Amino acid sequence: MDVKVINPFVASITSVLPQLGFQNIVRKDIKLKSKKIKSSGVIMVIGIVGDRKGNVAYGIDMEGAKKIASIMMMGMPVNELDDMSKSALSELSNMLTANASINFSNDDINVDISVPTLMYGDDIEVNMNSEQIVSVGFDVDGVLFEINVALN
Amino acid sequence: MNKLRAIIVDDSSFSVALIKNILEKKNIEVVDTAMTVNDAVLIAKQHKPDLITMDVTLLDGDGIECTKLIRNEKVESKVIIISSMKDDEIIKMAKNAGVSGYLQKPIDEVEFHTLLDRLFAGDELYEVLRNHFKAAFEESFYTNIKRIIGGKVEIRSISEDLVLRESLGVSVAIGFNGRHSGRMLMDMKYETLECIFKKICLNENYTREDVLAFFSEIGNIIAGNGASLLNGLNRGLGIRVAPPTVFGGKDVMMSLGEFENESIEIGTKYGDIFLNIGFKKGDETWM
Repeated sequence: MDVKVINPFVASITSVLPQLGFQNIVRKDIKLKSKKIKSSGVIMVIGIVGDRKGNVAYGIDMEGAKKIASIMMMGMPVNELDDMSKSALSELSNMLTANASINFSNDDINVDISVPTLMYGDDIEVNMNSEQIVSVGFDVDGVLFEINVALN
Repeated sequence: MNKLRAIIVDDSSFSVALIKNILEKKNIEVVDTAMTVNDAVLIAKQHKPDLITMDVTLLDGDGIECTKLIRNEKVESKVIIISSMKDDEIIKMAKNAGVSGYLQKPIDEVEFHTLLDRLFAGDELYEVLRNHFKAAFEESFYTNIKRIIGGKVEIRSISEDLVLRESLGVSVAIGFNGRHSGRMLMDMKYETLECIFKKICLNENYTREDVLAFFSEIGNIIAGNGASLLNGLNRGLGIRVAPPTVFGGKDVMMSLGEFENESIEIGTKYGDIFLNIGFKKGDETWM
């Protein structure tokens, strides 16, 4: 898979997150992974169909997820991952992927996105049905936010 | 669908007659027609129709410019370009001008009607989906599991609204795109999955990876069959299936409550299999 496939997602993070009240967004290295990823915390997967087909999985650890949900809810304290914060995180993954799909369309690649599937746990194994996954991490106000893209 | 009003902008009287005929079959009233950019802007302002069909080549300009001029007049009609030309560059320009759809001449009537359904029947289509998605996926789920496992297979509908559920061990998530978007989640114990795998694949030398790949495929079949049943009810739904993602792990929680969803469970001799399916009303954008 071409590593460039990550670019619309990187652009989406750097344009959407500041609008939601996040201040410091630092991109980390881009990595190629095998189709299986391990994750602890919250994982949100969105299906992509169109000129390219696949999935994107966003991963955040539990404390980070609460912190991000809290910032999205105007600083409301989040002690437990309740329905409201799960809804905020789902919406975040939806906004990021919708924005990435607009970035794709600027390169004449048209894709549609599904609703997110949100799972959480201590030791989640995710198999993205693609031989290779392009992965990039961001430090978002001290929280590690990971994006894994598997697109054919 | 309420009676919609349309204007046709095209410099060929033959095309105007053809488009009028197709629209009227869909119970859309053609209130006016124009052959030039000037006239088109005038009648669009005057009638503020629900729909404008727009040719690209007009006597005094082009349809994409014309769409922009109409938009400048704060006319919110949906615009479909109908032109013999279609290439990436024009499509991009059309999208930027605020066009909702693009059809190439010669016009395919079925394609035209499908586009109209998607543009105007969003609410009705969502109702079709709401009323039928559970039955469609129940049928696909039951038929496929029964076919694979055989023997006594018992279907149980779960009536309460589930917001959260602990995974039994392995789950497969599949996203749906189309006029409205959604996702399917199937979950069972790894041991249940392994028994089903062994029944189908008689090979004794298998890995966990093989079992999970098999799970992906079952998920894909159930999702694909369910989506096809729904698309058969109304082509306008245009449901497409994204590739499966398989999750595994201990104490994994599945969040189900972000949109309208239904749950079904099948009891088999190898253990229970859980299915959750949900859809969310989509916005009408480019078709």
